[in-house]
Amino acid sequence: MSYLISEAAQDLLGDVKDFCENEVKEPCKEFDRSGEWPKEIYDQAIEMQLQTLEVPEEYGGPGLSRVDVAALFEEMAKADAGFATTISASGLGMKPVLIAGNEAQKKHACQLIMDGGFGAFCLTEPGAGSDASAGKTTAVKDGDSYILNGRKCFITNGGVASFYCVTAMTDKSAGVKGMSMFFIEAGTPGLSTGHEEDKMGIRTSNTCDVVLDDCRIPASDLLGAEGQGFTIAMKTLDQARAWMGCIATGIAQRAMEEAIAYGKERVQFGKPILKNQALQFKVADMAIKIETARQMVAHTLTLMDQGLPCSKESAIAKCYASDIAMEVASEAIQMFGGYGYSREYPVEKLLRDAKIFQIFEGTNEVQRIVVANNTIGKF
Amino acid sequence: MDWGNCKDILVFLEQKEGKVVNVSLEALTPARTLAGLTGGKVLALAVGTDNAAAAEKAAPLCDGVLSVEGAAFSDGCSDAMVCALEAMVNKYAPAAVLAGNTPLGRELTARLDARKGLGSVQDATALKIDNGTPVWTVPLYGGTVLNDVVVDTLPVVATVRSGAFSKPEAGEAAPVTAEAVEVPADAIKTKVVEAVKEISESVNLEEAKVIVTGGRGMGSQENFALVEELAQLLGGVVGATRPAIEEGWVSRAHQVGQSGKIVSPALYIACGVSGATQHVSGMTGSGYVVAINKDEDAPIFDVADVGIVGDVMKVLPAMIEEIRKRKAE
Amino acid sequence: MEILVCLKQVPDDSVEIHLKPGTEEVNLDGVTPVVNAFDTYALEMATRLKEAVGGSITAITVGPEKARDAVKTCLAVGANQGYVISDPTFEDADTLGRSKILAAAIRKLEADAGKPFDLIFCGREATDRASGQLGPQLAEALGTGVIVDLVDIEQTDAGICAKQETEEGYRKVESALPCVVTVNKPAYDPRYPTIKSKMAARKMAIPVLSAADLDSVEPGKPTAHVVKVFEPAKRQAGVKINEETAAESAIKAVDMMAAAKLL
Repeated sequence: MSYLISEAAQDLLGDVKDFCENEVKEPCKEFDRSGEWPKEIYDQAIEMQLQTLEVPEEYGGPGLSRVDVAALFEEMAKADAGFATTISASGLGMKPVLIAGNEAQKKHACQLIMDGGFGAFCLTEPGAGSDASAGKTTAVKDGDSYILNGRKCFITNGGVASFYCVTAMTDKSAGVKGMSMFFIEAGTPGLSTGHEEDKMGIRTSNTCDVVLDDCRIPASDLLGAEGQGFTIAMKTLDQARAWMGCIATGIAQRAMEEAIAYGKERVQFGKPILKNQALQFKVADMAIKIETARQMVAHTLTLMDQGLPCSKESAIAKCYASDIAMEVASEAIQMFGGYGYSREYPVEKLLRDAKIFQIFEGTNEVQRIVVANNTIGKF
Repeated sequence: MDWGNCKDILVFLEQKEGKVVNVSLEALTPARTLAGLTGGKVLALAVGTDNAAAAEKAAPLCDGVLSVEGAAFSDGCSDAMVCALEAMVNKYAPAAVLAGNTPLGRELTARLDARKGLGSVQDATALKIDNGTPVWTVPLYGGTVLNDVVVDTLPVVATVRSGAFSKPEAGEAAPVTAEAVEVPADAIKTKVVEAVKEISESVNLEEAKVIVTGGRGMGSQENFALVEELAQLLGGVVGATRPAIEEGWVSRAHQVGQSGKIVSPALYIACGVSGATQHVSGMTGSGYVVAINKDEDAPIFDVADVGIVGDVMKVLPAMIEEIRKRKAE
Repeated sequence: MEILVCLKQVPDDSVEIHLKPGTEEVNLDGVTPVVNAFDTYALEMATRLKEAVGGSITAITVGPEKARDAVKTCLAVGANQGYVISDPTFEDADTLGRSKILAAAIRKLEADAGKPFDLIFCGREATDRASGQLGPQLAEALGTGVIVDLVDIEQTDAGICAKQETEEGYRKVESALPCVVTVNKPAYDPRYPTIKSKMAARKMAIPVLSAADLDSVEPGKPTAHVVKVFEPAKRQAGVKINEETAAESAIKAVDMMAAAKLL
């Protein structure tokens, strides 16, 4: 089973599949080793306009439903989760603008994406991970400008983005109500990138510190109003989480496909190991988990398309898909036996790639808080 | 099959810089089979600026050489050559017209077919006679499916695969007849302005008794030298797969497979070759196949008499050393 | 420059095609129809030429109506418009017949547009039959010149100059226009469609031309017939050697080659 998608998306799926099979899957093995950001692959992806999938139709996007886009992202994730993360983090970076920006801001940000740029979303700080309200980055109004100072960390696309959506405190005394959201274009003096993470997985994506040092931006680059930053950030994450669930599902799907292919080929005791019902059940459990995760993602995205609340569903989708991605990848390694532990075979990478999906865009513990709060209610 | 008044079999001799290409001579073999059927002669048609060498080569292998010479017939001038071919077909009314399945052979026969409304087969790998009717075997889908085909028009037109037929035994030299063909000026629509030789080595894969082929698994140009070393040791020729050529390790003159040469050596050693259909379809005619690959499941092992599972960079040097030792003994 | 690209829909050539067991029927179940690889190279070369010198590309195919998908694919990677030439009476046409149908279609499109095509691109061969006949036969039907096996092309004052691959290198061949060319694998790969071009191609109309739309086309009877369809005899896999060390494996293999009197 897969996502139920439009004919147009099916057409595009064929192209994306070809591209990922031919240009992404194999080369990314090597980049996973080196940790180098594969610019050539991303240049090709940009030429294909893969980064524009989430751009709304009125701003030049293809006008696909979110479920359509999910099918395409899953295909990218199957080839390489780091690649899919880069592409989708670009959509994440654009979301604060689409949620809170004015017409001119939306047009501008979308155009940057359409022209081949990536976006980046900058919320996390060294002292403010799950507790985003503890952020220390400040924005001080100075005439027609804001001056920003602080350090953001673990920023996906931090070193390669064309624009950044950055949270900063405009009123430290007001707690989360003192947080605001700013749009900053790459190349603005005072914005620089710092330490680049040497990651366990998704090594083909760029993750680094973004440093703001007296970074002066026009006051008109405030997104929404002062004090709305936290709300915008939370809405952004509500939407973005489902996409992380989508990519995690892609990792799990790949792991299952690799396990099946290997299980059919590998002969022990005179027959392919997949002839053993014990392993068939493993595959069945993988399929049950993957399909459940995928349909949770699809449901969440449909709610989103219809403008309905989906915080809880989005959290469930992300949390569940990433948990099962870890499980499925681990079981795939188990089915490969000793070879599964070897870097020459494809499955150990999937486990390394899957882990981050339990952590970023809200740890799965935070997701459970969201689910609990939305399920139990105030009492 | 009713041959009417058509008896002779015309074989187009393709030349490169005055040298006749092998597959043209090989085509004289099925031509002989057909002539046996029609009771006609095998006529080799040389078209070029100087046919002396080609005529000399072909004369002992056929019943007559037709030589069309002229400045217009220089290499690559297919417009003029098709005029010559058409004129000879008109004059001799052959029962069949054969050529090698080369770019030129395919073009000339295609154009002859169009001019005369004929059917044809391309890349024939075998010829059988069934109840007096010639039946050609041709590959489809890269060689995984074969068709036996009968051409319904006369003359029967066919191009034959290189290496599919062996050259006929030489006999007494047949007479060479000079034929004059006027090429009308308006028949020449294209013009060769430059011919560049990028590959100077002559690589004779088709006639090699031993071929040592390197694939992507060789990893680098330096490693590929081991393939060359083994080939030299065995007095063989170096072959390569498309990926190895695209990596630039050897020139494309070495390519074995569907888009390269079809080979049938007595011994074929495949080093770091996975065994893609495109490659395998070019070497399944080999007598004895040895394959070295680290991937136990590589498809090349399905066609190998001896499959060595192992790192080619370790196996090859050991193999070279062992063979060298035995040669010295 | 007005450019025409002729294409053929063929079974996906990355899939190994076999017969249905015990039959003479080719098993194409689950094999996706794709645009013939050499035709995609032809389209890419044509598109690069168009981008260099300006003009427009028309893609056409002779085949069933569902060959529209092949044309649609081309509209996303360079072709400006496309047609399917389809008629029940064309179904049996062989390559020679199809060259005549294409020639009639070309004359019809030229008459409708009021201008001739300058350059007609074909793949050097289709991956299913690999006969390489269509381009030269189309040129004969149109009375134009033909250059086969191109790996590159450029416009000149007098027409075109084509780089033709040969076994030893290449030739530069010139021709006036109009001209038919057939394309080999160039040094570059065909481009991927972009999201935008694909979405746009989906919305474009692809007219179907039938025999009635063309001027007196007579594809003629097939000129050859198939008497048997079969698979080549398979080579038997031999022994696999996987000794403790590479040296031991090598020695064992050399022993076997020596025993077979090959050394």
